[in-house]
Amino acid sequence: MPSSREAMVHRGDEDEVCPVCKSSRYLNPDMRFLINPECYHKMCESCVDRIFSSGPANCPVAGCHKTLRKNRFRKQTFEDINVEREVDIRRRVMTVLNRREEEFDSKLDWDNFLEQREEMIFNLVNKVDVAKTEANLQKYAADNMSSIRANQALEAKEVTSFQERQNQEQELARMRRQAAREEYENERKEILAGREDVLTRLASGQPADAAAIAREGQKVILKKSSARRSEEERIRQKQAALRGTDAKKPGQTTATTAEEAGSGLIKGLKKVKTPEPEKPYDPFGGMVPNKRDYYSLQDDYPSSYLDPIRQDHRMLAGGYDLQEYYSRTLLEAFAGLGCFIDEEVSKREANSFNFVKPVGTHGALAATPGSQGDK
Amino acid sequence: MIEDDFYRTSSQFRLWSFTEDSLRSLRRNTNTLASDRVRDALRRAREARKSASSSAVGTPNPNASDADSKTGDEKDIECLTPEEEQDLVRYFCEQIVQLGESYKPPLPTIVRATAIQYLRRFYLTNSPMTYHPKTIMPCVLFIATKTDNYYMSLRQFANGVPGDTSAEDIIAPEFLVMQSLRFTFDVRHPFRGLEGGIMELNAISQGLGQPAPHNLQQTSDDLRRAMLSLPLPPNTSSSSISDRLARAHHNAREILKSAAQMTDAYFFYTPAQIWLSALLLADRPLAEFYLDTKLGGAGPDPTHPLTQLHAKLLTTLHNCSTLLQSYKPLASDPDQKKAMRRIGKKLYHCQNPEKVNNLAGQKRIPAAAAATAATASANDHDHATPESEMEQIAKKRKVEGDARRKDDIFGGELVMERTRERQGS
Repeated sequence: MPSSREAMVHRGDEDEVCPVCKSSRYLNPDMRFLINPECYHKMCESCVDRIFSSGPANCPVAGCHKTLRKNRFRKQTFEDINVEREVDIRRRVMTVLNRREEEFDSKLDWDNFLEQREEMIFNLVNKVDVAKTEANLQKYAADNMSSIRANQALEAKEVTSFQERQNQEQELARMRRQAAREEYENERKEILAGREDVLTRLASGQPADAAAIAREGQKVILKKSSARRSEEERIRQKQAALRGTDAKKPGQTTATTAEEAGSGLIKGLKKVKTPEPEKPYDPFGGMVPNKRDYYSLQDDYPSSYLDPIRQDHRMLAGGYDLQEYYSRTLLEAFAGLGCFIDEEVSKREANSFNFVKPVGTHGALAATPGSQGDK
Repeated sequence: MIEDDFYRTSSQFRLWSFTEDSLRSLRRNTNTLASDRVRDALRRAREARKSASSSAVGTPNPNASDADSKTGDEKDIECLTPEEEQDLVRYFCEQIVQLGESYKPPLPTIVRATAIQYLRRFYLTNSPMTYHPKTIMPCVLFIATKTDNYYMSLRQFANGVPGDTSAEDIIAPEFLVMQSLRFTFDVRHPFRGLEGGIMELNAISQGLGQPAPHNLQQTSDDLRRAMLSLPLPPNTSSSSISDRLARAHHNAREILKSAAQMTDAYFFYTPAQIWLSALLLADRPLAEFYLDTKLGGAGPDPTHPLTQLHAKLLTTLHNCSTLLQSYKPLASDPDQKKAMRRIGKKLYHCQNPEKVNNLAGQKRIPAAAAATAATASANDHDHATPESEMEQIAKKRKVEGDARRKDDIFGGELVMERTRERQGS
């Protein structure tokens, strides 16, 4: 491939002249032409080195005032500079507008998108409404940075997986060929061995058996070849099955990962439901374990009654912890301080009107098992 | 406040907290039900006696004959009013305290307090006319020793109970009591809360206090200074702050031991409110200061939730302390004693006759079965040996079991089935 491109590039170059330094290929056979996608003016490598080595400079072609940089210079791929330019533009637009078909609601929307993209490319190539189109494109790129990047990553992945598959298939084909070759070789050897066997037996055996021995030898060869054929069949089937699974795989890689649907430029994008990010597991369900509202627990409370315990090994050895006592007493000191029973209970009774009374009377009945006798 | 939510999960809040109205109506309801039953039972007894028409020897209750001899009219059976019932229950609550005191060593305060609350809860849905408190009271105290982890063997316990009460008599109504308690044995007492509060006040007085979570701008020095500058409660001589705390602690604890137990405070207020009210009675400036350190951080803004809570809490505490103050110990009040004697006499007349001996039926099953079997066999033939008694019981049980098995959709006992099959094969 590169060699053919090289040939193409050099095809009509015999009388080419660098528009900047006017040296021709005739004088300098190693001369190579480079272009810059800013203005697509052609110039030779030595001119690029000379003019742009010391940083960006204006294009030396008369009338063109574009500022060029050395690192953007590259070899021309197509002979026609217009084609070259269009391909460049197309590539640039395609990297930005890289929506995928599965991101659209309907086929119509996808087609509309494709048409829109083509129109933009056309505009840029033919210099119609360039400023507006460029603005649109830039705005879109800024708005949809993440989805563009995601789609790029997806594409890159697809390319690599495709390449992998290609390699795999080639490898398989190579192995198949090798197996077939070995097969053939084996077969040939066996036929030879069989023939030799028959000959030795004929030589050592009775003349009357000759026909029988010859028939037998034929049969053995036939049997072997048929066994081989069935073996081959089996292998082929296995390979077919293998290929089937290979064919299924690429389907899985095309998962939609578009993020935001609200791009003004493109219509008909699917509403993307970003899955709620899973919250970190909270064993207390939002409660802070040692949070208290009425008091803050201290490590130590002065008390003539409790202090001796700190030194008492008999109590401490058993695992007694004064901290437990502190936390329990203080919790009990304030648990329910803000519960106003007259309010809360009456509310509770209002909510479930026959809550207390039936239970009470029921309790009274249940608590008097002898009450059957009373009635 | 998260501590309040802890309390809201307790059975004391869910099942045993009432408004004044609901408590009154519950008591009235229990009283009417019990009075109706008493009247019915007495009438039935009278009719039975009339139909027997012989002498009044076999009457279950001699008081019925008294009533009968005076008037034949059932209207004259005067039942206890709910208030009288309440007084009676209170009298037996005091009896619990005394009974607990009589043990060596005395039962812990918390056991007695739990027993008192059990008794009070029991008589919310049962009337003293149905079950006499003097039978329930020891049982309740015994249950309290178990639920409060103060182990005591039943025999040891029975020895301490005055009168000729046997161990069996004490635990006879046990299941009945537990059922009436709705199997909730957890009683939240204010005692430990008081200890916690005093503990924290002590820390503050020594300059080790920590600010409350909603009041973080306090420093321990500020707290200490504020505490030392508190006005003294009336009719006390000036003394050191630790003495003052100790006195407040002691007085509040006495209130909790007596007044809080003998009134309906546990039904109307939460333990935290009860002990703070007791502290309020013991040393008002101190309790108010303590409350301010907890809830005073909101400033003068009246719409702030802390300020609102503070105001509401002050009225609640005030109500609670009036309730606690209203208690007068029975022993010091001759009027009450007289009233109690009257109620006791009245109860003697309106006790439900069908329940008086019926508690034996509530005994634990093996004991009851043995007792009934013993009486049955004694009636049959007097010289039965214990072995034959046992056989008879077994036979009786088997006959009953066979009869029952026909109705039982799940069949009889597995072991019985299997032995029968083995015998058959």
